[in-house]
Amino acid sequence: MYTNYDIFDDMLGLRNTIDGYFSNLAPRERAIDYPHINLYEKDNAITIHALMPGVANDAISIQLVDNSLIIEGERKPDYADKPYIRRERSFGKFKKSIRLPYAVNRETVTAARRDGVLIITLQKSPEALPRKIEIK
Amino acid sequence: MTTEVKKLKTDAYHCNECVIVPAIDIYEDANEFVLTADMPGVAREDLEITMKDNTLTVDGKVSPAYLSAEDLKYREYTLYNFHRVFQVDDAVNAGGITAKLDNGVLVITLPKSEKAKPRKIEITVEK
Repeated sequence: MYTNYDIFDDMLGLRNTIDGYFSNLAPRERAIDYPHINLYEKDNAITIHALMPGVANDAISIQLVDNSLIIEGERKPDYADKPYIRRERSFGKFKKSIRLPYAVNRETVTAARRDGVLIITLQKSPEALPRKIEIK
Repeated sequence: MTTEVKKLKTDAYHCNECVIVPAIDIYEDANEFVLTADMPGVAREDLEITMKDNTLTVDGKVSPAYLSAEDLKYREYTLYNFHRVFQVDDAVNAGGITAKLDNGVLVITLPKSEKAKPRKIEITVEK
């Protein structure tokens, strides 16, 4: 009785469902900015894994802007001066913005790199934690 | 129907034998060939390079920490083990192959055999 039910929402929802099949069918075909990331969430902490083999530490800059994490940098070519036989890897500047699901504590952000994977750990901000509201 | 599609998808994406063919670059200079491969998530001890009968095989096992789908909320990539095979001919001195893995980038150096190295040809001038 108190809902804003609208029959057109369901009809548009059906269209979105069908559209979804086409956009989700080939996840690998989607245009994704470099680097590719996976986002994990557990116990008020977010862990982001970004695949960026061969990018030097000092060539990466990580910034927190509002609720977005911005990874920016440059992957420098490693054998640019030699004549090549085969070239499949790509190099260059990149910038990627990741929208975080909630506000994070700016003081406790850590970033580490292992085996060509950048691992960023972010803690939920105290303000984003659930708070019980007393009724007076 | 839905179950069948789901099963198809599971079979396609969660297979045990899936491998990634890593992107590679091959460069050459006077004395060696240099092969560079991107293999993120592979630790040094999980990498295996074998040379047998003119076939160079690179196998890299991705550490389980990068494969786990536990607590995964948003996915842009799926890692599998890396595998790639190269045919190498007599131009390479198989005994002198060296490899190093640094920050997810594998660099294999294949020294040229004596006969493949550039040679300077002396010109004898008749007087």
